[in-house]
Amino acid sequence: MKTIVLGVGNPILRDDGVGIHVANQLKQHVNDPDITIDEATTGGMNLLDLIVGYDKAILIDAINIRDAEVGEVKRVLLSDLSSVHSDNPHDVSLLEALQLAEKLGENNIPSEIVIIGIVLKKIPYVFGEKLSPKIAAAVPKAVDMTLTEIGKNLEESNWSKDKLT
Amino acid sequence: MKTVMIDPITRLEGHGKIAIFLNDKGNVENAYMQIPELRGFERFSQGRRAEDMPQITSRICGVCPVAHHFAATKALDDAFNVEPTSAAKKLRELMYAGYYIYDHTLHFYYLGGPDFVVGPDAPAAKRNVLGVIEKAGVEIGKEVIKHRAYGQKITAILGGKATHPVCGLPGGVSKGLNKDEVKNIETMAKSCRDFAQFTLKLFDDIVLANKTYVDVILSDPYQLATYNMGLVDKNNKVNFYDGKIRITDQKGKEFAKFDVKDYYKNIAEHVEEWSYIKFPYLKKIGWKGYVDGKDSGLYRVGPLGRLNAAEGMASPLANKEYKRLFETLGGRPVNSTLAFHWARLVELLYATERTLELIKDPEITSNKIRNPVGEPGEGYGVVEACRGTLIHHYKLDKNGLIDKANLIVATVNNAGAINMSIRNAAMGLIKGGKVNDGLLNMVEMAFRAYDPCFGCATHTLPGQMPMEVKIYDNNKKLYKTLRQNM
Repeated sequence: MKTIVLGVGNPILRDDGVGIHVANQLKQHVNDPDITIDEATTGGMNLLDLIVGYDKAILIDAINIRDAEVGEVKRVLLSDLSSVHSDNPHDVSLLEALQLAEKLGENNIPSEIVIIGIVLKKIPYVFGEKLSPKIAAAVPKAVDMTLTEIGKNLEESNWSKDKLT
Repeated sequence: MKTVMIDPITRLEGHGKIAIFLNDKGNVENAYMQIPELRGFERFSQGRRAEDMPQITSRICGVCPVAHHFAATKALDDAFNVEPTSAAKKLRELMYAGYYIYDHTLHFYYLGGPDFVVGPDAPAAKRNVLGVIEKAGVEIGKEVIKHRAYGQKITAILGGKATHPVCGLPGGVSKGLNKDEVKNIETMAKSCRDFAQFTLKLFDDIVLANKTYVDVILSDPYQLATYNMGLVDKNNKVNFYDGKIRITDQKGKEFAKFDVKDYYKNIAEHVEEWSYIKFPYLKKIGWKGYVDGKDSGLYRVGPLGRLNAAEGMASPLANKEYKRLFETLGGRPVNSTLAFHWARLVELLYATERTLELIKDPEITSNKIRNPVGEPGEGYGVVEACRGTLIHHYKLDKNGLIDKANLIVATVNNAGAINMSIRNAAMGLIKGGKVNDGLLNMVEMAFRAYDPCFGCATHTLPGQMPMEVKIYDNNKKLYKTLRQNM
């Protein structure tokens, strides 16, 4: 099962880049030709371009959920999201991009898109590369949850999370 | 199914946040769009290696990475006192044209175009790219996807990565082109040129052939007689990558023309206590508030600003379209905010023609792609980002580390005009405290035309752009809140 894991966010906008921090740590744990780990400072159509052709996509990103505390890590399916907005006024949403691709007969959309969301309440508007303490503390949890998510696929081919280095 | 609510208020943090102020008669007096500026860039940059700036700044914004990349690279050329080789300049400009192809295509079909193609009165839920495809057909949808991707591929071939290029170096570029790549780019560019012509035809058929739409374009709420600003070449033709900054007045006459290093001699910045961003205005005229006309120091940038500030396009097909636009809308300058959409398509055609011209240039495969750098100092870099003039300014210390850094981004140049456009659109729709249902639509159309970029955090978890309009009475008390996509 070809899987792409993308850390999404802006690496120079503090907590916004948490997904990329997680992705970088994951690279040290996963070594499997079927699993691609990368980062994406983009959304919408560009993000769609990156996930087309994979069976499964795991997106790690900062997410704002009303009934959750800062630093919690949530597994969310794209289809679960009822009210979502882009912080990027120049692009469509990933959801819209996906609907568009489907409508145009794109056959290579991942059958499963999972979001590992690190709960954030405020988007920082000050440049910086460091995460705030609560968000930094959430990184290991997010790494672990992403590995579990990857492991689900690996089990199907007689792998388990324990075999990940 | 589990439902996750994303808190709209905290998430909004200024994006699309609009305040409308009424007078004692309940009519619109002023409107402001809050454009949050990312802060602390200077501090963030201090002490970094200057040559890292093109990579770092390309991450400032998920919308304009290529524009930031080259504004930074050009600032470094200047700061290291080096002139790039002729081939390097052409390679950079070629890549830059690829960025225009995908960015302008995206805006017309996905963001701004839906207002027109689907119709200004259509519900917000329909005014998106899916609505466009419903109207124009699935086959056209496939062409849109294909040509946007071509623009990105051209950028990626030259820049290493489609979204975050790594090719710009002071004095040149890190990578040239081989013959296969040239052939590949030429094939894609030809197809893009045909597609740009098709898109202009589509605009004709759907928008210009429809009197209602033309009336909206020419209607009072969408007129704004500001000065206009953009980069021009030595013949005063529009150029995206290089040239002098030219400003024209409300009659289309040249008001100023200068090198980027003289930006602060010509432009000053007005500070408002309610906004982090500063509002640029023409120094010679002075700050006169949010008014248009001859005495207003405000100017516009972006597609229409560029076309107004120039005297034509440097390629034959686009120049024809340039003339047609001004003939149709009553001569240069055109002050209709909604004509930004048309101007964008003229530029799309130019970008494809320029790509073809550059790719056929024998020098494009040259391996003389970099000149050695000189001593570090101070430097300015300017490019036309798709949404307007973008300037980077750095001071380097003697070790080539950043001492001072300042950016002037496109949307900031347009900030004053955006506020006025929103105010004017709202004026017709709020009378005596009564708010017309069409307000959100018309307000959205007013700022969409500018294709504003808010210095964005780029996020995956996204939907339509949220918009919140707060209307205040003459005592500055909140009177009403309207929301969309929240």
